[in-house]
Amino acid sequence: MTTTKDVTMPAGATPPASPRIKPPKSNRRLRLGERTAPYLLILPALVAILVLLGWPTLQLIGISLRKLDLRELVSGEMVWVGFENFSEILADSEFWEITVRTLVFTASVVLLTLLLALLMAVLMRHLNPVVRVIVQVALILAWATPVVATTTVFQWIFDQQYGILNKTLAKLGFESFIGHSWFSTGPSTLTVIGILVIWQAVPFVAFTLYAGLLGVPKEQYEAAGIDGANAWQAFWAVSWPAIRPILTMVTFLSVLWDFKLFAQVWAIRQGGPDGASTTLPVYMYLKGLAGNHFGLAATAALLMMLVLILLTARYVQLLVRTKEADLS
Amino acid sequence: MKRWLKMAAGAAAITLATAGCAGSGSGDSTNSSAAASNGSLTVWLMTGTAPEALTNSLHKEFEDAHPGVKVKYEIQQWNGIQQKLTTALASDNPPDVIELGNTQTPAFANQGVLADLTSSVNDFNGAQWLQGLKASGEFDGKTYGVPFYAANREVIYRKDMFEQAGITATPKTRAEWLDAITKLKAKFGSDPEFQALYHPGQNWYELLSYIWDEGGDIAQANGKSFKSSLDTPQAKAGLEFYKQLTEASGTKAPKDADEATPQQAGIYGAGKVAMMIGVPGEVDTAAKTDPKIKEKSGAFAIPGKAADKSAPVFLGGSNLVIPANSKNAAAAKDYVKLFSTPKYQTELAKAGYVPGTSTDVSALDANPLTKVMAEASKNGRAVPTSPKWGDVESGQNPIKDMLTAYLTGTKTLDQATADANAALDKLIGG
Repeated sequence: MTTTKDVTMPAGATPPASPRIKPPKSNRRLRLGERTAPYLLILPALVAILVLLGWPTLQLIGISLRKLDLRELVSGEMVWVGFENFSEILADSEFWEITVRTLVFTASVVLLTLLLALLMAVLMRHLNPVVRVIVQVALILAWATPVVATTTVFQWIFDQQYGILNKTLAKLGFESFIGHSWFSTGPSTLTVIGILVIWQAVPFVAFTLYAGLLGVPKEQYEAAGIDGANAWQAFWAVSWPAIRPILTMVTFLSVLWDFKLFAQVWAIRQGGPDGASTTLPVYMYLKGLAGNHFGLAATAALLMMLVLILLTARYVQLLVRTKEADLS
Repeated sequence: MKRWLKMAAGAAAITLATAGCAGSGSGDSTNSSAAASNGSLTVWLMTGTAPEALTNSLHKEFEDAHPGVKVKYEIQQWNGIQQKLTTALASDNPPDVIELGNTQTPAFANQGVLADLTSSVNDFNGAQWLQGLKASGEFDGKTYGVPFYAANREVIYRKDMFEQAGITATPKTRAEWLDAITKLKAKFGSDPEFQALYHPGQNWYELLSYIWDEGGDIAQANGKSFKSSLDTPQAKAGLEFYKQLTEASGTKAPKDADEATPQQAGIYGAGKVAMMIGVPGEVDTAAKTDPKIKEKSGAFAIPGKAADKSAPVFLGGSNLVIPANSKNAAAAKDYVKLFSTPKYQTELAKAGYVPGTSTDVSALDANPLTKVMAEASKNGRAVPTSPKWGDVESGQNPIKDMLTAYLTGTKTLDQATADANAALDKLIGG
């Protein structure tokens, strides 16, 4: 655990300067092999990144500038259309509506995931060992269940006729829930999908934060107690600084994951009813793959990437700037 | 250089396509036939269509007549087929003969990926082609699809239950049908599990019957363009009857799913359902739950408004097509030719399908279930032959949304039809 170190370290600590800044004079006299060795060592990783990330991205940009329907795909014809795909998608009022919906959905899901996970992490710290193990096993089970299996289970829970939720609510006295359809409006459908996603996402975030909390030495809490801090104050003064960098990291990870969520949204209602639970990845699928307009799909994917870059720009900025992992 | 780029672009697009498939839960879209070598003919038929006995003898006869050619027969699943076909057609070695759903055919023909079979129509027994399917295989005056088989929906009912409820003749009109439901409910209604008619909310092919019976349609063709007509009084009347039927039937079926989720045949097979609207083959599926249900089941055509004519039905079915870049087009044509001979068409009829290239349906008369279907198929209709129709079925179908919204009361009749009309226009209009 280096977390404690990070916290106690003076903020302005400069890392040792990299060798490149002051090249040793002997450099020129080094043999060719010695000079190229570092680059040769980095080469495999670089090639892997270029092949696996750079090339597909270039392809995506290329395809987004082309008309690529089934006809062109089969004949191998190149039909360049410039920014026609972009203007078509950007002029589609549906696209903007869906973008806003996706952003709101992502924000709510990420916020709730973090809040619940934080509560779970703090709870795990305070539970007695036996109960804690039970909670941890339950979390791991929820986490380990395959997405499609969970989605199917949730579909049955929320089923209009046979769902256990409606039956339970009716038993509890809420008679109006007999035969209630949870999937009749977009917001209601998205709420169910949101619950499903949060349920699957909380364990990972909770364990990560819990690991961060474990890194805080007990003495610090004792010290806070001696200084007269109550539980709330101790949390803010001791726990919070320790988990803040981790929290930043999982926030951005969650944003990435939840923004490009497809399987759950599609499996629940194919983005229905009336397209009211359609998010950007579903939009991309409908435009591109259901309709065989791959150029449009690539454009939609590129626009999604831009939105994601905008969303995570701050995190990337922090990553590039800070040499130490202090992402607070 | 340019060719190399083309290949890479194609590969990337395929990756895109297959990645999408994996996302939709049908991850088995890797193309197993990509490595077709010389001397083999790859045939893709859909699951549950041609009986094994038929394909066995067909392939034997074909291989005997074409020494050195081996038939690679691969059975495909409906789930995710559109994406799988896209991937396969774009590959260097596509299958040589493909069964394509009749509603999918115009989309593929429009993209120029199917071989033009116009000059071979006569070889394939063209004079006897089933009219409803023939239209779906034609595009721009050329023929791309050879009718394979068709099936249409009918009302499948429990003869024993009808008898016990005192219903002597099968319903011929909507009024008689509703009357039969009332009688069934009076007799069996004390059982809370009983459903006089299993009637899910999104059986939109069935809705088409009522809309056509009222004299309406989904869309009006105007030359090559289409204008949806779901907001016409006829379409509204059809939708109203669908709701009336749902409410009268006492069905427990979900209002926001079609007849496949859950499979209605399984529910019918459990024995608490007196009627369902389906194809004859579904009785065989039901028999897996209860083998005795087959002899207890009868069928009648979907009743019309007037007694003298049953409601028009949606003619579902498939065409056989040959991809434009098939490496073995000549052998593929021979295969389709052999398939369209009366010998194998009769086999298809025996399996319970209306054959595509033979007007001889006597084999269907032997079974009362298929006899009713063959009779009704004469009044068979098709969905608009718009090349964009594929978007409706593989994406978000506005007709299904319309049904659910109206049946659950989320929208009024006018609102539901107007919304669906606009959504459908966005997909196939213009």
